[in-house]
Amino acid sequence: MELDQAGYRTWEGQPRSPWWGCLSIVRVGLSLIFRRWVFWILIGLGLLNFLFHFAFIYLKATLSVQNENIARFLDNYKVTGTGQAYADFMFAQAGICALLLAFAGSTLIGSDYRQGGMVFYLSRGIGKWHYIVGKLLTIAAVVTIVTTLPALILFIEYGTLSNSFQYFLDNPRVLCGILGYGTVLAVVQSLLIFAIAAWVPRTVPLVMTWLGLFALLKGLADAMRAIDGNRYWLLLGFWDDMNRLGRWCFGSLDPNRIPSAGYCLAVLAALCVVSLVLIVRRVRAVEVVS
Amino acid sequence: MSSAPTSPAALVELTQLSHFYGKFQALKNVSLTVAPGAIGLIGQNGAGKSTLLKILLGLLNPSSGRGTVLGFDLVRQRHELRGRIGFMPEAESLIPGMRGVDLVALAGELSGMPRRQALRRAHEVLSYLELDEVRYRQCDGYSVGMKQRLKLAAALVHDPQLLLLDEPTAGLDPQGRDAMLRLLHAIASRHGKSLILSTHLLGDIDRVCEQVIIVDRGSILGCGRIGELRQHSLGRYRLRWRGDDSGFAQALTESGLTIQTTPRAGEVVVEVPADWKTVRFFEIAARHSAILSDVVPEEEDLPRLYHRLIGTDSRLASTPATGYPKS
Repeated sequence: MELDQAGYRTWEGQPRSPWWGCLSIVRVGLSLIFRRWVFWILIGLGLLNFLFHFAFIYLKATLSVQNENIARFLDNYKVTGTGQAYADFMFAQAGICALLLAFAGSTLIGSDYRQGGMVFYLSRGIGKWHYIVGKLLTIAAVVTIVTTLPALILFIEYGTLSNSFQYFLDNPRVLCGILGYGTVLAVVQSLLIFAIAAWVPRTVPLVMTWLGLFALLKGLADAMRAIDGNRYWLLLGFWDDMNRLGRWCFGSLDPNRIPSAGYCLAVLAALCVVSLVLIVRRVRAVEVVS
Repeated sequence: MSSAPTSPAALVELTQLSHFYGKFQALKNVSLTVAPGAIGLIGQNGAGKSTLLKILLGLLNPSSGRGTVLGFDLVRQRHELRGRIGFMPEAESLIPGMRGVDLVALAGELSGMPRRQALRRAHEVLSYLELDEVRYRQCDGYSVGMKQRLKLAAALVHDPQLLLLDEPTAGLDPQGRDAMLRLLHAIASRHGKSLILSTHLLGDIDRVCEQVIIVDRGSILGCGRIGELRQHSLGRYRLRWRGDDSGFAQALTESGLTIQTTPRAGEVVVEVPADWKTVRFFEIAARHSAILSDVVPEEEDLPRLYHRLIGTDSRLASTPATGYPKS
């Protein structure tokens, strides 16, 4: 190497707080996902659903000016601007997001364990909590981009295309619902996929575990309820728990329906705590053996 | 961020430091003081080198004992410390799908550099390490040598005061290894960086380091400047002469000396008794019409020093000077 040709320069700057490193982890994580065309197939599916709703709201607003009957007819298609409509939209988007995370989990988290990325991160000026928070924020950002953000855009579009801004004043619960359901999806899915990908880092086993966790447990819950007749067995279906909690945020969950939102919240909170414990244990283990 | 202690005299200072993995004691009451400079860390597999490196890096908390690196406490100030240390691990430790320049910039950001400065500095370091032509390529496609240099770039990007290098020449061909060692030597000697080089290759340490830490089964067997640890008088001399070959060699044996090796005609290494006077070589040579051109006392080299300290002297003869110590 011709060392004399290129000199080495010193850096005199003042280092920033390690929490800034979390933002760098988020930026890099998002770029790793959005740079791969494979993930764009699923992102595109979500985008298609969003564009359909976007166009439908626009169409409805345009036609309702001309004919009220057409507007009422279009309300049959559930793009009605109510909490129920946004909950259904977010539920569909959450399904697409879960599929996206099943495949992206290996890129975002699994590769750190399989290919030494953990050593790369943890040997810098950040600690394990900065790493964990950075990765969780990355996954939460993906969930938000696919579910909450489109729902918010649709909400704003619906209100803006109404005759007055009264829609926003009349429906504060819808906004709370979008943010609440979005938070539930972001928190639960990010913790869960992080924990699973940390322990099952390879793509195929990760996809099977992730989808199996929702599909198999839901099947088990339905079977147990059918056998036992006890509706609390339904709490085993985490996917439905998120859905019920989300609908409660929108105010569209029947309060007499068992299991109630409180039970769903308790189960999901327990699931989050277990996931966090698994994550911390795994990161600590890598610190020791890397 | 805490301010750095002003110019600590010792680079590393450990006092009664131990570490346990469950019931297994990986480090046993390690106490040492190392001055700034290029330091080699030698030991067999499982000797405790990696554990020691991880503790120095702040990745592991010692089970007992205390220590400072660059004047920072190993436990209480480990985040501040890590920002001042560059670590080049032996494992691949790259992020697949990232371009070289982005990876090095990310390493800078994670060490506390603002984004723009980290990116600029990444370009500078990659140019310095001659990776400028491949900086926009994804690091998955780099050759082994390029990956090693990329890891070094990621360790250097935030201009650390201390570099911890774990097997930096692993997997490199002779040319790549030579280039890497020259680079490390330049970083240590021209740019005033301290480095701790952990390796099995004694030749690497011989070329780059002036100090050495020898670890065996969790204990420090030797620590200090290589020149000071060496035994200067081994009771052996290398003799070169012109003239009567066999007669002179035979006369040496008859005088009670033991010929250790005969590298070539007219050259021997002889072991002498403790009370041997050098002038007697010349007397014997004069009697056999041989002209002595060299009488050089044999000094201990690094492999011999290493094997003497870990107690495997008998294997010396078969250990090449730049090879792996036998375990």
